Amino acid sequence: MPQLHFQTTDEDHRIAKLTAFAIGLHLIESAFPSPLPGVKPGVANIVVLYVLQRYGIQAAVWVSLLRVFASSLLLGQFLTPTFLLSLSGAVLSLVALTIAVRLPKRYFSVITLSILAAFAHIAGQLILVRLLLIPHGSVMVLVPVFALAALFFGVVNGLITAKLLDK
Amino acid sequence: MRYFILLLTCFTQLSCSIQLDPLYHTQTYVFGTLVDISIYGEEESQAQQITSQITREFQQIHNRLHAWKPSEINGINRTFTENRPKLIEPDIVNIIQDATQLSIQSEGLFNPAIGKLIKVWGFQRDEFTAVSPDQTTLEALLAEQPKMTDVVMNGRQITSNNPHVKLDLGGYAKGYALDVGLKLLNEFHVENALINIGGNVIALGKHGDRPWVVGIQHPRKPDAIATIALESGWAIGTSGDYQRFFILDGKRYCHIIDPRTGEPAQGTQSVTVLIPPGARAGVLSDVASKPIFISELSNKAEFAKKMEVSNVLVIQEDGQILATPEMQQRLEWLDEDAKKRVRTLQ
Amino acid sequence: MKTQKNVSAHFNNFPKPLLGDWCIILLSLGLIVISFATLWSHQPAATLRIRAGNAVLGEYSLMQTKTLTVAGKLGKSVIEIQQGKVRFKHSPCHNQYCVHQGWLSHANQTAICIPNQISIELTGAKAAFDTLNY
Repeated sequence: MPQLHFQTTDEDHRIAKLTAFAIGLHLIESAFPSPLPGVKPGVANIVVLYVLQRYGIQAAVWVSLLRVFASSLLLGQFLTPTFLLSLSGAVLSLVALTIAVRLPKRYFSVITLSILAAFAHIAGQLILVRLLLIPHGSVMVLVPVFALAALFFGVVNGLITAKLLDK
Repeated sequence: MRYFILLLTCFTQLSCSIQLDPLYHTQTYVFGTLVDISIYGEEESQAQQITSQITREFQQIHNRLHAWKPSEINGINRTFTENRPKLIEPDIVNIIQDATQLSIQSEGLFNPAIGKLIKVWGFQRDEFTAVSPDQTTLEALLAEQPKMTDVVMNGRQITSNNPHVKLDLGGYAKGYALDVGLKLLNEFHVENALINIGGNVIALGKHGDRPWVVGIQHPRKPDAIATIALESGWAIGTSGDYQRFFILDGKRYCHIIDPRTGEPAQGTQSVTVLIPPGARAGVLSDVASKPIFISELSNKAEFAKKMEVSNVLVIQEDGQILATPEMQQRLEWLDEDAKKRVRTLQ
Repeated sequence: MKTQKNVSAHFNNFPKPLLGDWCIILLSLGLIVISFATLWSHQPAATLRIRAGNAVLGEYSLMQTKTLTVAGKLGKSVIEIQQGKVRFKHSPCHNQYCVHQGWLSHANQTAICIPNQISIELTGAKAAFDTLNY
């Protein structure tokens, strides 16, 4: 019988460590009540943005998706609507980041990345809500509110990430 | 920067696609009027195919029932004049028998046999001019007494005991087409749709999570006076003096002719009827408003009963607005002034 | 004076947003304001939709002065937009019902020229009804 070998690289360790950090932030955040379902600071995204800037998009994809799966397992939400919302938000946000990292660095800092990721995150969630949970348009009335929250937390998270990267 | 623009377009695309209703809406011109079809919740290409098929069917009905261009009805009228029998298609047999029954029910106020009268008033033209036939002409035409009961049907063979009968199904065809349209929608397994033929409307299913809503035209303003929710299978129709009319010496002459006087009905601006689901809902939405429109105000409630409609809205020339209690419950007034003035029709 | 210095000193600790960042922030704010305006206003400004036959020829703002000539089945209809209102000014049709409809100025008003197969309708963000019984 062939033996299974797990060869772990330094990069794997780094990703694991950073993912753990993101999960930690997410768990802390989910302990606080939110004023409106769906409006959350999304502090775990700070870690994703940090990883993106330091280690590139591939690492960021790993951290982001691992964070989604692991947190949902820990919180007992795996494959529930909450998990699906989280996943669709994360995926669309990664798509946005993949495109946005190509913006010229001279004019666009991590703050832009953070804002665009936040918008994509909420867009991904709303699309899923519209398609699966509430098949009719009423939820769209809340789009401006979600967008405003996304902009605010996008800027704040972006500033924090920029500060972390500065060090 | 290129990617940034790409990203932005993505966002706008996304926000558009999630905001839009899955509503397909099309307007065409058939029956000398506007035909407006909405289909909800079907793929656009599918909806497009279905509406074009329905429109084609409407065009065919229009061509076959046309009162003054070569058509099957036109051919029947010719053989009536010549006192000859004629073999006709089974669906035309049904239409004429149904129209006859409704004419009897309305005590002759709905009378599709008075094509000659409609013609002398100039309404049997796409573009009509103000004409006022002289009294002797009208009296002569009235004396001919064309009635639906003059028409004799023997299987598929049609004759008339009165050579002066000239069928004009202008007050029937649009409603009939609504019923055909609904049948076609069901055959195509469409679940939600709304068909409007020149103001006669039939509903199927809903508009998303709410019923279809129809605006009722103000007879003298380019506004809706009220709205009404049209549940699945219900139909609504209005007879108005503002749809086809001309003004001569300051007096309005509308296309609805009173068969008793031979002149355009006076005193009423519009009558709206709401018809519950049934195989003939469309036909009734077209026909049932006519006798109510033509009859005097004091008889309107009685004719509503004769036509078996319980949801009626009447707007009179002198500004009176009357509605049956059932109708009042369903109407959502947009015109505050009208809302205050509405009285009970009974 | 002192507090102001403190605040700005505190801010200086953070990396400043770059030009592009500001553009993104302003653009997003703009879009959010627009989305609030369109989705949250109950009496939205009306826009004009012109149809010829089944084709939507275009949507126009009412807040302008403009005369449009539209080709229909019979000929050319002239539609006049005048700062918040619109009307059929001329029509090749015989009975001129469309011209007699006069000015339209608020959402959900329509004027249809059946002979020339042209309609003008004023639409708001939310239609009051799906179709008109006339």
